[in-house]
Amino acid sequence: MKPAPLDYAAPETLAEAVALLADASREAKVIAGGQSLMPMLNMRLARPELLVDLRRVDGLDHIREEHGAIRIGAMTSKREVEQSPLVRERLPLLHAATLHVGHPQIRSRGTVGGSMAQADPAAEYPCVAVALGATMRVVGPGGERTIPAADFFVTYLTTALEEDEILVEVSFPVPAPGTGWSFTEISRRHGDFALAGAAITVALDGAGTVADSAIVLFGVGPGPVRAHAAEARIRGGRPGDELYREAGAAVAAALTDPPADVHADSEYRRHLAATMTTRGLAEAVQRT
Amino acid sequence: MTVEIPKSLAELPVGEPRWVGRRVRRTEDAALLTGRVEFIDDVQLPGMLHCAILRSPFAHARITSIDVSAALALDGVAAVVTGADARAWANPPRSAPEGWGALCIAAEKASFVGEPVAAVAATSRYVAEDALELIEVDYEPLDVVEDPFAAMQPDSELVHEDQGTNVMMQRVFTWGEVDAALAGAAHTFTERFRWNRLGANPTETYGCVCEWDPMSLDIVVRGAMQSPSSFALGRAATFGLASNKVRVVGHAHGGSFGGKGNARGTDIACMLSRKAGGRPVKWIEDRSEYMTAGASQAWDRHYEATLTTDAEGVVTALVVKLVDDIGASGDGFGAISAAKPLTAFTGPYTIPVARYDLTLVATNKVPASPYRGMGPPPHFFVLEQMMDIAARGLAIDPAEMRRRNFIPADRFPYTIPSGNEYDSGSYERVLDEALDLAGYEQLRKDQAAARAEGRLVGIGVASAIEPGVFDWNAYAIVGMPQTGVPEGATVGVDITGSITVRVGFSHEGQGQPTLVSQLVAEYFAVEMDAVRVVHLDTASAPPSFGPGGSRLGVAITGAVLGACERVRDKMATVVAAIMHCDAGDVELRDGRFRVAGRPEVDMTVAQVAGTMLARSDLLPEGMDPLPEATYVWTAPGRTPADEEGRAKSYLTAAQAVHVVVVEIDAETGVVEIVRYCLVDDCGTRLNPVVVEGQTDGSVAQGIGAALYEEYVYGDEAQPLTASFMDYLMPTINEVPAIEKREVVTPSPVSPLGAKGCGEGAMHTTPAAVMCAVNDALAPLGVMAREVPAAPNRVWNLLRSAGTQR
Repeated sequence: MKPAPLDYAAPETLAEAVALLADASREAKVIAGGQSLMPMLNMRLARPELLVDLRRVDGLDHIREEHGAIRIGAMTSKREVEQSPLVRERLPLLHAATLHVGHPQIRSRGTVGGSMAQADPAAEYPCVAVALGATMRVVGPGGERTIPAADFFVTYLTTALEEDEILVEVSFPVPAPGTGWSFTEISRRHGDFALAGAAITVALDGAGTVADSAIVLFGVGPGPVRAHAAEARIRGGRPGDELYREAGAAVAAALTDPPADVHADSEYRRHLAATMTTRGLAEAVQRT
Repeated sequence: MTVEIPKSLAELPVGEPRWVGRRVRRTEDAALLTGRVEFIDDVQLPGMLHCAILRSPFAHARITSIDVSAALALDGVAAVVTGADARAWANPPRSAPEGWGALCIAAEKASFVGEPVAAVAATSRYVAEDALELIEVDYEPLDVVEDPFAAMQPDSELVHEDQGTNVMMQRVFTWGEVDAALAGAAHTFTERFRWNRLGANPTETYGCVCEWDPMSLDIVVRGAMQSPSSFALGRAATFGLASNKVRVVGHAHGGSFGGKGNARGTDIACMLSRKAGGRPVKWIEDRSEYMTAGASQAWDRHYEATLTTDAEGVVTALVVKLVDDIGASGDGFGAISAAKPLTAFTGPYTIPVARYDLTLVATNKVPASPYRGMGPPPHFFVLEQMMDIAARGLAIDPAEMRRRNFIPADRFPYTIPSGNEYDSGSYERVLDEALDLAGYEQLRKDQAAARAEGRLVGIGVASAIEPGVFDWNAYAIVGMPQTGVPEGATVGVDITGSITVRVGFSHEGQGQPTLVSQLVAEYFAVEMDAVRVVHLDTASAPPSFGPGGSRLGVAITGAVLGACERVRDKMATVVAAIMHCDAGDVELRDGRFRVAGRPEVDMTVAQVAGTMLARSDLLPEGMDPLPEATYVWTAPGRTPADEEGRAKSYLTAAQAVHVVVVEIDAETGVVEIVRYCLVDDCGTRLNPVVVEGQTDGSVAQGIGAALYEEYVYGDEAQPLTASFMDYLMPTINEVPAIEKREVVTPSPVSPLGAKGCGEGAMHTTPAAVMCAVNDALAPLGVMAREVPAAPNRVWNLLRSAGTQR
């Protein structure tokens, strides 16, 4: 279990890194924390000719609040996110989700940008990014652009990043005061990828009915799945067990062919997605 | 001269034991945990090459051609071997049953995904793996034998064409008047069960460094194997060499649980070494190789069981029909696991007659291997579910059901229908302690309240036997002819009185080096760190098997104490000569030799050793001056198996009762273990710390078996669980704190009264957890018949019960 021959570069600037990626003579791949890529390399499932390691590039490791958003550098480790008072206070949903990512050792190596760019459909971070309406800042040979999270995750292990682009920062808008949230997940063991899960935000209006919500599922499709039908179903509704169950039912009805694997068949995943929605909504409303 | 091994702590030549039976911290842990021992991958030898193995992507395919020329041409590659080399240099290995062994590299066809097809030795593992990609193999896929029942059909494709059948063995063993018992039963319960493949996953996989001298044809294998001596014999037989031409150096290794020792990989590395002119070749089995093609998988079982009772719930007969999917060949010795239930077929109960309808089937899966417990854990899963099914059917509390059927304490030694003799036990007391520890009455009240709320809470009460000190005769029905498993030790005192013990087992992690130090320090009344334990290679060690079948703690105690007794006897002769008295009047007590009636004189052990080695003038004429002795212990009173497989086999019978509380999430099917209580009785506890460590680890593995671990095969017998992403071992998050108590009923037949305890809770835990799961499901009228009780399976059951919202 050793990788195929490859070259390795650890540039010190973003411009150098982008130039290495843009060099069409070699197939290059960015490595961040290596928690997904290293096993793929060792099993020779990924065979880039060049690894571009971002660890020496300055300016990719930060968590700060600017203009109503929490901006997190792509090379920030999940452990740093987990331990950040700013994240805990301003983005409690992201904090809660982080605790479900692997174990402390994995969170110490794994990065925010790595999870986003890997786009595993059963991973926590892409789902949270969509639920919170995050924006991805990416840099390529032509300069910088931003991509809304909803457009960033294309399908299984595929993002809107061009081959010569690097994700440099994820910006999470701070939810309005009073926004309820929940993060629910079912996995075989603590720290495993999810069989199904849901990241939910909900806001109530003055009358106590649902004004707005984001219900985003993971583990049940090719990427984060926004449950538009369930969101529409509960808009204007009065919170309560019946409404939560209806939201779950709407999720189950809308899910087309959730993936099946050795741990969960398609029917079970559909059911879990509904259950996580029902439970998660109740929890989120409690936090409004 | 016969040697009397002390049967209790009171028989040791000391007043109050300072070490044995005490909570002694393990002396070897600092070196193990800081990596200061030499693990196999630490070994670097001059000129050493690295092996990588090309494996079949097909479960069943004819190899029509193989071209290794490009691989051989790659810079850094020293040698390549294929099935042709295996055919030229190696015999098919021994197997159980005999005749079902497969060459270490597939020659004509591959019979499971991952079977070796070729191998490369190169200057690094990287280069070796690059070279594998240059080997061209043409396969002609054959029909795949996936299912053991289909495999038994006459028109099935054959895994071993020369056998003419896929049925490796089919026999019905009947012990007693079973038909009469079935006919006369008041109640009869029959059920089917499925135990899916799982297996050992030690921290470290297997690895070896092999040298095959092309001149002398001597082989040296350094490796991380469980039993160096068995491994040496196996290599000699495979390569047709005299047994003293193979020297195995067993390295300290990170656990085994039955999974350590990949003979195929070792034989391949040996052949590569021979082709490379005798250069050492290292092969480190990676985790994927281990999980798909190593000694990783065990117990792929389809059960049907019938249990009958009289009107009062006393069990009158047990019939177990087992179809065991052994995989592609018998050289993994997984078949032994189907034989071992004979050692404790009827569990802790007085069931008077029994029948075992056993079929072993070959399929295109990786050959089955041993795993902790070696077969009884699934058997007890079945037996204990049947006990609960009967209890439910007769409206008897599960704890009371066990009590009614336990072998009473006054009936030991007790011979079970399948032939083995249990040495001692206090089963009812163990049950009482367990119920007390768990607060059983209150648990049932809490359960009733939870059920009234619609919650699925279950309580499992299960009991099982841990057969201890394995004997080959237990496996006679699958072709093991021996009786007895010798284990030796040499105890020597040097000129300054320092004591060294030389043993043949390798260092696997269960605390035996500490135990050896405890025993010798106790016997000669010295400090534990004054005793040095040396692990010998197979060229110099006394006969030894090493750990396995819950034996080494007991066996090495017998060997070490036997050697100590012999040293004492030798020294007593010297003391008698110096003191001018009869050797019979010399007594060793608290580290000093004293003479009856002369309290004013004594000699220390060091003084006697010094005299023997440096004062020949004081020794009796003809006296052997070596203050050293070897003793080889083998279990007393064992008998060869009869036609029906009956033998006095495993020497000791430990017993346990586990009480488990689970709650099932009615919406998701997820099982949570709420409480775990157990009481066990493994006789004298030589080092309670070690016993508890074995118990904790074994409970974790049992929970893995009940709820998590499963090797899944997809279409065409493709393995779908080839990494820890999908093969789920429980972690610290999934294993609850375990509440434990002990009962001590010493064995009357073993050294110091200790019983085998190394496999431990694995015998009881899967049964107990599944009893709890099924207790939780009982109000819904559904039952989990398949392990692991993974959430998808449980949810399917809940759905079938119509409880899904």
